This record gives sequence, C-alpha cells and structure tokens, in this order.
Amino acid sequence: MFTFIIRRLLQTIPVLIGVSILVFSLMHLIPGDPAQIMAGESAPEEQVENIRERLGLNESLPVQYGKFITNAVQGDLGSSVRSGRAVTKEIGGRFWVTVELALYSTILSVFLGLIAGIVSAVRQYSFSDVAIMIVALFGLSMPNFWLGLMLIQWFAMGIDLPSWIPFIDSTAWFKPSGWGSFSQVVLPVITLGTAGAAIVARMTRSSMLDVIDEDYIRTARAKGAKERSVIYRHALKNALIPVVTVVGLQFGALLGGTILVETVFAINGMGTLIVDSIQARDFPVVQGTILVVSLLFVFVNLIVDISYNFLNKRIDLD
Amino acid sequence: MNFSRKSFLFVAFTLILSLFLAACAGDPEDDSDSTNDDATETSEKSEGGDLVIATATDAVSLDPNGSNDISSFNVQMNIYEKLVNQDEDVELQPGLAESWETIEDDLWEFKLQEGVTFHDGSEFNADVVKMNIERILDPDVGSSQASLYEMIEDIEVVDDYTIRFKTEYPFAPLASHLAHPVTGIVSPDLIEEDYAAMEDGSDPGTIINENPVGTGYFKFDEWEPGNYVRLVRNDDYWNEPAHLDSVTFKVVKEDGTRIAEISTGEAHISHPVSPSDVEQIEQSDDLVVTEQSSVRLEYVGFNMAKEPFDNALVRQAISMAIDKDQIIDGIYEGFGVPAVGPIPPDIPGFDDSISGLEYDVDKAKELLAEAGYADGFSATIWTGDERESIDTAVNVQSQLEEIGIDLKVEELEWGAFLDQTASGEHDMLVVGWTSGTGDIDYSTYPLLHSKNVGSPGNRTFTEDEELDELLDQGRQTPGEDERFEIYKEAQELLVDIAPMIYTHHPQHLLGVRNEVKDLTQLPTEYLLLKDVYIEE
Repeated sequence: MFTFIIRRLLQTIPVLIGVSILVFSLMHLIPGDPAQIMAGESAPEEQVENIRERLGLNESLPVQYGKFITNAVQGDLGSSVRSGRAVTKEIGGRFWVTVELALYSTILSVFLGLIAGIVSAVRQYSFSDVAIMIVALFGLSMPNFWLGLMLIQWFAMGIDLPSWIPFIDSTAWFKPSGWGSFSQVVLPVITLGTAGAAIVARMTRSSMLDVIDEDYIRTARAKGAKERSVIYRHALKNALIPVVTVVGLQFGALLGGTILVETVFAINGMGTLIVDSIQARDFPVVQGTILVVSLLFVFVNLIVDISYNFLNKRIDLD
Repeated sequence: MNFSRKSFLFVAFTLILSLFLAACAGDPEDDSDSTNDDATETSEKSEGGDLVIATATDAVSLDPNGSNDISSFNVQMNIYEKLVNQDEDVELQPGLAESWETIEDDLWEFKLQEGVTFHDGSEFNADVVKMNIERILDPDVGSSQASLYEMIEDIEVVDDYTIRFKTEYPFAPLASHLAHPVTGIVSPDLIEEDYAAMEDGSDPGTIINENPVGTGYFKFDEWEPGNYVRLVRNDDYWNEPAHLDSVTFKVVKEDGTRIAEISTGEAHISHPVSPSDVEQIEQSDDLVVTEQSSVRLEYVGFNMAKEPFDNALVRQAISMAIDKDQIIDGIYEGFGVPAVGPIPPDIPGFDDSISGLEYDVDKAKELLAEAGYADGFSATIWTGDERESIDTAVNVQSQLEEIGIDLKVEELEWGAFLDQTASGEHDMLVVGWTSGTGDIDYSTYPLLHSKNVGSPGNRTFTEDEELDELLDQGRQTPGEDERFEIYKEAQELLVDIAPMIYTHHPQHLLGVRNEVKDLTQLPTEYLLLKDVYIEE
C-alpha cells in the first residue's frame, strides 16, 4: 500500500509538468495582448509598450516558461500581472473556499444519491423508483447557473406565503451571496450538489441491480441473513466500487462547476479567480491556479484508488 | 423492505426539519433592520451607517497608476483627491487646487489648498504634487495613463502652495487631464517607500496598492481581493467630512444576484444595472433605478483601410440605412440618446446645431449605387462578448440586408477582439469610447487622429489630413470660444467622413435602495459618495 502511494505520487509529476506546459502554451496561443488589456481599450501605444516591458512579456516563450517552472518548484508561482500580488497569496484563502464548496456538495450528492439509488434499486419499478428516477433526470438536466438563480429567487429574495400557513410568512431564509455562515452555504451547495446527486443515484441504482442478481446475494438470503444485512453488507459494499469511481471523477467536475456557482453566488473562490484571470490574460495566476486544481484532482483520485482496497480486499494496489 | 421505507421517511423528516431550522435561524440582523425601518420614518439627514455597494467587478489596483478601469478608480476617488474635480455637468471645480490660470499659452499655474494632510499625517504641498506627476511620467512605473501628461515639459515649485506646469506646446485641456483619477495625489512617504521597494525588485505600486494613503474623505481599511474593499470615514478631513461611517465595495458579478442583494438589503447599491433588469427593480417598493447621461459613445465602426469602406459614399450609405432607435429601444430599452457625431452632448464644445446623417433607406440605396455597389456586397462585423454589443451587431446585420449588404457576425472574446481590431483585421466592428477626461479633445483626438491608428483608439483607421489638422489645432488653441469653433468644424467634417455609425450615448444605470440619499453619479460613471447618507 505504501509503495503504491509513493508510486502514484511520483506519477503525478509528469502529469503536472504536462498540465503546466499545456496551460502555458494555451494561454499564449489565445489572441489578446495582456499589456493591451491591462492598459484598457482607450490607452495609448507607448503605455502598452511600457507595461509589456515591465511584465517581461518581451522575453521568448521558453525563457518565460523556464522561469515559471523553476520558481514553481520552490513554491513561488510568480506574481499577478494585474494586481502585483504573489500568486500564492491570490490563491490563498480562495483555495479552501472552493475545496469546502466542492466537498460539501460531494457529501450532499453522495448522501442523497446513495439513499435515492438504494431505494430505487430495492423497489425496482415501484412508484418510488419511477419518481426518484424522474427527479434524478430532472436534476441531471438542469443547468446549475439557472438552478442557482432560481434558488436565489425562491429562498433568498423569498416568496410571500399565504396567511393560512402558520409561523412563516416568507421563504426568504438564506443569503444570496458570500460564503461562511450556514445561511450562505446552503443554496450554493444545493446548486452544485444536485447534478452530482442525480448521477450518484442513477449509478447506485444500476450497480445495485447488477449485484442483487448475483449468486452470493441469493446465498446470503438463503442462509437466513437479515434483509438489512444483505443490502448493506453484501450488496451495497460491492455495488459501491463504480459509485466511488464516479464520485472521484465527479469531484473534478464539481471543481469546474464551482466556476459558475461561485459567479452566481458571488463566492470568492478559485473558480472566479480563474475566469477573471483568463479574461485579463493574467498568465501567472491562470497557470498557478490550474496547477493547484490539477494537484487537487490528482490527489482526490489517489484517495479513490486507495478506497477501492477498503471496499474490496481483492483489489491489489501493488 | 420495511426498513427502507422507515429510513426514507427518516431522511425526508430530517430534510424538512433542517429547512425549518434554517428558516428559524434565518437572519436576526435582517429582522431587526426591517423593524427599525418601520419604527423610525422620520426623514432627517443622518450621520453614520455602512454603505454596501454591490459592484460587478473588483478593483484591479488601488495605486492610481496601477490600472485603468472604472472599478479601481471608483474606490480610489474616495481615498485620493485630485487637483481639479469634475462635477456632474462635466465642468471643472477646485479640488486640491484652489484655483488655476494660464500665465502664458504653454505655462499653467495652480494655487494649492493649504492645511491639507494625508491619512498618514504627512503634509500636502507643491513638492508632493510635483512628486506625484513625475511618478506618472516615470517610464519605470509604467503608468497606463502617462500619455495624458506627456506634453508636460517642466514642473516648477514656486512656493509651498504654488506650482507651475510648462508644456511642450500650448495644451488647452491640461486642467481637464489633471481631473482624471490617475492624478489622485498619493502620500509622499508612501511613494518613497514604493520606490525603495522597486529597488529591491518589487513591482511598481506594490506598496501603494497594499496600503493606499491619500487625502480623501475616506480612508482605506481592508481589501480582500475578489471579495470586497472597505473604506472608513476620515474624521480629520480638511474640508467637510463624509456622513457615512464606512463604504464597502462588494464584488457580485452576476446581474441577478446583485438585484437579490439590493432587494434583500444585503447591499444598498447595484453598480451597474443592465437595461433589461430595470423593470424588475422598479417593481419593488424599496428600490429605485437612477439614470445618468454618460460621456460615452457606442459606435459601429468601418475599417477605412479596407475596400469598400475606403469609399465615403459606402460609409454614408450604411450610416443612413441604420435606424438607431431600433438599437436604442430594442437593445438598450430606451436608455440612451441617438448620437450625431462622436462627441457626447454633455461634453463642453458639443454642437447641437449639427444634424448628422438622417435615417433614409432610399437615399442609402442611391448612394450605394453611386459608389458602384448597386447589388450590395458581403462583409464581416466584429463584436466583443458583451451581450449588448452582440445584439447590436445582429441588428445591424438585419438592417443592412435591406440595402443588399450581406453581413456576417463574428463574436470574439474581449481580449482577442481588442487585439485583432487594433491590427485592422476587421471590416466593421461594434465598440465604444469613453471621454475619460471630460474634454472634447479626448472625445476625438485618440479616437480619430491618424496618429492614433490601431490600439491607441482609432480602430476605424481614419486618416484624414484636414481632420488631423483641426484636431491638432483644437488641442493647442487656448481660448475656449476659438477652440470650440475649431471643433464645430471638425464635427461637421466628421458627418461627411462618416468613419463610423455614431449609434448612441448610453445612460448609466444604478439600482439603489430608497434609504440611500444624495448619491451622485458622474457622466464618467464614477460615484460621488461624500454627501451620501442612509436615511433611518
């Protein structure tokens, strides 16, 4: 197990180098001069030239990349072209905001998805199965920026309820923006977690259905095991392997999804940082952020691989 | 099966319970706020309060020379002051300079306010002004706006509170240029510290950006990039201090979320408001939409370096084939005035006797035939990724179909758009121009002088000797009347040259909560917050 983790960690190095080369060249292939964008549409030529000079954008691409990678290894991701602050400082607190958002959403989607998936599978073709699958299809097809705006409309701006409903007169329960307090976290997490919950539900259902027909489940039932034990200990544990894979990949998708959700809910995370920096051609920040996100993604998938072993001892990591 | 039903019910119950708990947990502060509103309805100018402005973009830099964008300057205008201020009529008012005059055509003298101190306690005087202007001109600092002051040849400190600027040639708009927010006066100690840090390898402005110090009515408190900037009142302000305790510029990108912010009272002002959202805001009893005419021109430009747009008849024909009201009413919901030329009506020197090219499709067809394009032609119209620009391009496309011109709309990401239109790859383009200094020179010279072709602003590649001569004369002629006479001629000439379809001058729109009083927005889009108070 230990050698596996070491080996996997070493494997991430070429991946990260690849990512950095890709990002570096992509940013320079996109038309648009960062100096011009910084100076603004109404700025004179000499200023643009001044800024270009100041940022070292006159140097050749290999030289610029070489400098970037040497410093990155030492934990220095350079400084932002726009604000002049260190990239690590720019990423700083935003990293945890995005990780929290993605993590809570994953927890929500796994929690809701597993329950829905199990219920659906255990009662295949029943009313609840059909209802859950319809809701899941809906959750999967809803664009999350739209869902976010609707949730803001319903639960932040609120809907005035008729007077015959006791205790509450409006549904303005949560805040429309920001991150930190419970009332700020709920809406973005639901927005981001919904599609994931739908995927996990569908995945759990089909994977459970495959497993439930297996011989060992029939054997377990035949030897008189309780239904609860059959479902959880025998069926679910084996059905979880593809689900865990999906959750791992889903976490990556969530990191992408945070871009939209952070924008809608005005959350100051890495998603908005990436978008802003791409628009401003802030090369160092884009490179740094994507590098950090890929590191996170690689790390999550490492955890997924390790968890296979806990779910099924026969999976040999070494 | 029994258990799964139970657990399902349990989960459902937990979810409902948590919703109720959340409802009860709600927002105690908000509740108390609303009861306050009901309890005290007396309208009396109240001191204090924390104003929250939901703004679409964060400041880029808090060093006046660090960037060139509305959001940065909007924050800076409260921290720093300039020698000269611009009021809502785009007229110049004393700022840190008490008065100014031209001693000779190329020599300006400014008398400065006495008894002004910076937030860090250092004193404001002529040496500090000299230091600040020299910093803008310093190529090592790389200010984005240095060219506004490039004609300044020499700065002479006459005494502590008198300073003279000698210009290379007579330059009439100098005082207007000194009203540009880039001339926000920074504390001398801070500038020295910043230069010292530059010697140690820091980027210019790093120190100033981290802890900006000016003489303004608000002081810098905290900046969490991407999230908010907070300023607090400067109680030692040399003039009448501000009413508010603090101002927070909170970054909320999404239009819909900004509206939610002001409707729920999380913020007081939404800056800006999209024209299509005005109706929704006006439905609320707590909110109003404020309108301010702008010094901006939206235009559809021709690339005059390319065929067939090098032919004046073609440009005039197209200009006459466009019904501007369709664009203003259909896309900008009526928030704008049709333009007759490049100069916004609020800019001193604008001549309202000029009528421009009228909408006349038949005449347009005649002109096009006269130019040898009776059957029309095909071309491409370029636009950035802003919603209104794309809609404008599509509208122009459909209107030009009527005179047989087949337009293809090409939509580009903003950075790519700026880059490629600067190098003249486009046939036509949809873009705008803001007269940042409020002087007529800035509405024309960078936009249309042959010296400024490409990225400096002349994206229509207008190269006309007669126009160049007028624009050169205009900026170098001292007396206002003589100057405006020259610009009148230029405005007439520009109708014939028709380098662009002057579409319209848009309105600036803000969503504001009712309790916010005495808010002023300038035609240059900046907010004036000194007199603002929150009615309790």
